[in-house]
Amino acid sequence: MEQILLFAVLGLGQGALIAGIALGVVVTYRGSGIINLSTGAVAMASAYAFWSLTTGFFGFTLPVGPAAAGALVVALAVGVLTEVAVFRPLRTSSPLAKLAGSLGVLLTMQAGVLLIFGTQPQQAPSILPADTITFLGLTIPSDRFVLTGLVAAIALALGAVYRWSRFGLATRAASENEQAALLAGLSPNGVSLANTLLAALVAGLLGVLAAPIVQVDSITLPLQVVPALAAALFAGFTSLGVACTAGVLIGVSQSILYYLSTQSWFPTDNGNAMPGLQQLLVFALMVVALYVRGAGLPRRGEAVEQRLPAVPLPDRLLRPALVAAAVAVVALIVLPFDFRQALTNSMIGMVIVLSYVVITGYVGQISVMQLALSGTAGFVLSHLAVRWGVPFPFSALGAVLVATLLGVAAGVSALRVRGVSLAVVTLAAALAVEQALFNNTSFGGTAGVTVPPPTLFGIDLGPKADFRGLDGNEPSPLFGFLVLAVTVALGLYVAHLRRTGLGRQMLAVRSNERAAAAAGIDVRAVKITAFAISSFIASAAGTLYGYNFGSVSAARFTALAALGLIGFAYIGGITRVSGALAAGLMSTGALLPHALEKWFGIKGTWALLFGGVSLVVTLIANPDGIAGAAHRRKTAKKAKSPEVFRGFTPVEVKEVTS
Amino acid sequence: MSVLSVQSVSVSYGGVHALSDVSLEVRAGQLVGLIGPNGAGKTTFVDAVTGLVPARGRVELDGRDLTGRPPHTRARRGLARTFQSSELFDDLTVSENLLVTADRPSWWTALGETLGRRTPANPAVAEALAVLGLQDLADASAHELSQGQRKLVGVARALAARPLVICLDEPAAGLDTAESAELGRRLRAVADAGTALLLIDHDMSLVMGICDHVVVLEFGRVIASGPPARVRTDPAVIAAYLGASATTGTPETP
Ligand SMILES: Nc1ncnc2c1ncn2[C@@H]1O[C@H](COP(=O)(O)OP(=O)(O)OP(=O)(O)O)[C@@H](O)[C@H]1O
Ligand SMILES: [Mg+2]
Repeated sequence: MEQILLFAVLGLGQGALIAGIALGVVVTYRGSGIINLSTGAVAMASAYAFWSLTTGFFGFTLPVGPAAAGALVVALAVGVLTEVAVFRPLRTSSPLAKLAGSLGVLLTMQAGVLLIFGTQPQQAPSILPADTITFLGLTIPSDRFVLTGLVAAIALALGAVYRWSRFGLATRAASENEQAALLAGLSPNGVSLANTLLAALVAGLLGVLAAPIVQVDSITLPLQVVPALAAALFAGFTSLGVACTAGVLIGVSQSILYYLSTQSWFPTDNGNAMPGLQQLLVFALMVVALYVRGAGLPRRGEAVEQRLPAVPLPDRLLRPALVAAAVAVVALIVLPFDFRQALTNSMIGMVIVLSYVVITGYVGQISVMQLALSGTAGFVLSHLAVRWGVPFPFSALGAVLVATLLGVAAGVSALRVRGVSLAVVTLAAALAVEQALFNNTSFGGTAGVTVPPPTLFGIDLGPKADFRGLDGNEPSPLFGFLVLAVTVALGLYVAHLRRTGLGRQMLAVRSNERAAAAAGIDVRAVKITAFAISSFIASAAGTLYGYNFGSVSAARFTALAALGLIGFAYIGGITRVSGALAAGLMSTGALLPHALEKWFGIKGTWALLFGGVSLVVTLIANPDGIAGAAHRRKTAKKAKSPEVFRGFTPVEVKEVTS
Repeated sequence: MSVLSVQSVSVSYGGVHALSDVSLEVRAGQLVGLIGPNGAGKTTFVDAVTGLVPARGRVELDGRDLTGRPPHTRARRGLARTFQSSELFDDLTVSENLLVTADRPSWWTALGETLGRRTPANPAVAEALAVLGLQDLADASAHELSQGQRKLVGVARALAARPLVICLDEPAAGLDTAESAELGRRLRAVADAGTALLLIDHDMSLVMGICDHVVVLEFGRVIASGPPARVRTDPAVIAAYLGASATTGTPETP
């Protein structure tokens, strides 16, 4: 019992950090209606700034006080930049575009930190007194209490500001009715900027103070936004008190859960503590929050242009597909081995993005889960093939089936959740799957599990097949052909889907669920079908991943990787198959990053940075993505001036006898 | 026999009674007007009938009970509607908007289409476009249309389902007087061809000119119903809605 208490108190540190980020999330949402995924990254930036200034990273060392001040300046600078360069231009965009914009900021900041500071986790010095206090016979570091007291004070102070100051009034007015606020002489831009800065300040401060308790790295800290989002969901993205309390409690319960998992009676993962319990807890809490709070976020009275990127009817399918396939066949044989590998990677990347074209492009739902389904398929494939000796097409089909069913189950349980909320829960779900399932050594493990090559009638179709390209090296073009066949088939299917009745129903649901239902569309059935198709495609990509590398490891299917893929999908054009092709060419290990690295020595991290920035630029300047821009240029040439139509053309209504 | 029969439907939003015990019948080939001041509950009535808001009471279509059925089932049984704010599918073209209601792909046809089989063009689409004179707009994107055009496409989308009943929520808003009158003639023709129509509109010359029967709502209750000529002169209706301008054909509230 005492031990539980001790761990509860120790968890206050993490809890305070989560609460601080949650406060940042709520403040930003109140100010501008943006769910800012980069709030955790702000804490990361200021923590790194603090660490580097106190440890002489830049060749000089500052005392703790000025270093902390410097770190806060960094947080504020990030805030200003985010607001002016991202949030303001996206003011009138759809909530999903705003969310994706904040994703762009997250990816950019992460890449920036990696480029400056590298991947090595760091330990920052503590500002808070290092003494301990004795409490109920337990010796406890006092900084945990100080930190918790501090976030509580911040929450109270923010609450007071919102309640009694003119600025608070302006924020409330703007969030209720932006138009009216404008008329009353309040500038939504000013209100939004002030709130974003406040949020950056709070997140930055917690980043500095909690840095010594949690390690400073480019993954854990930015992902603290996920438990913070759970707290914010409990708060309905409005109540500061609830957000703060929930944040602290999440940290405390994660710590207690960790303690419990070290007990002898607790199930273990081959003798080690069960991984991912914290993330599972956060996911479960989010589900609870959505039930308690209802699936919708509070609507802000914004003048929003809700339109998502256009989904034009493709006019020709077969010919461009055949041309692309012929080019790929030649390239697979002719290219040197490294480019052959990169081309294969590109195609697999394209397939996984195709799953986003269906679920996000056609139905308008962001599901971060899809990459986790790929991973699931990969791991299941390994188990089927290695442990149970299931032969090739059946092992792959079985893996796809299992992962697709999982995707459908997730889709069914998320039917009431849509849009931005869906993106948030599926992010938590992806993280939970990554940590609890993929990192669990009985299912996956970071070391990776082997996948035997696909063989059909005794012919090896895998990357090590005997048939080699012109340079005689692995991977075999034969495997490239297999991937190509799958890619072309799925690409054609997704493009064709747009022309079918089901495709129209999906777009109708995306446009307007109420009108779709009134038009006779079973909205739930359409969504479940879309989840099934998207999950099937993602799972197929997962098995290809497995064959491609001969193994499956957790690192390829992380939640952050999934966010990155969604970013690439947006840049390419998330509503089109050609967009998926563009995204595939940009994805990890694909032709574009490979060529950049080989010819210009540009590292993958730069590609990540470039990806983050292009995502923001795409959302602001070219929401239809690369493929959309190309399409526009093509159609602009043959467009004629639109005719003005008014009322009725003189047409005979068919003869009626009354 | 009535095609649409609604018996004492009530809706409340929180504590507010938006509709109390409203009953209404529409026969095949009949054009029934539903009028009343802003906030009277007309749209709520259509929402209740089509299943978009939870309601008490009973809704029957062609003798079959629809009570408690989800909206898409009601639509598939032949209950179509238009929306006050059009609510087109902005990502689709005009003819695709109509196809969505005209084609109700079964699992079987969906599978066929997946395998590349072309479904034959649905004649209901061209027919509905012709009824409203929208052929020239067939390939336009829904989001490029003017407000008036959106309203007409909404009507065409409802027609394309070849429904038994259509509830029209202010289809003439956004049209000028001449266009409104032309729409009225075409709606009359649709009704005469056998479809039951429920028409909500604030344009009194339209409603009084083409309807066989008019029902007046105020504060969620029916305050009068009968042939247009009688409703027009009903003192309660004049007091609640038509006002002194009853003679000019436009109510005070737009
Ligand atoms: N979703 C809702 N939540 C709460 N109240 C609502 C809702 N929708 C409508 N109401 C209220 O119900 C009443 C009826 O509204 P309704 O839209 O049905 O009126 P209407 O007759 O269609 O008006 P109008 O002529 O302006 O279209 C109004 O008082 C309205 O404020
Ligand atoms: Mg109305």
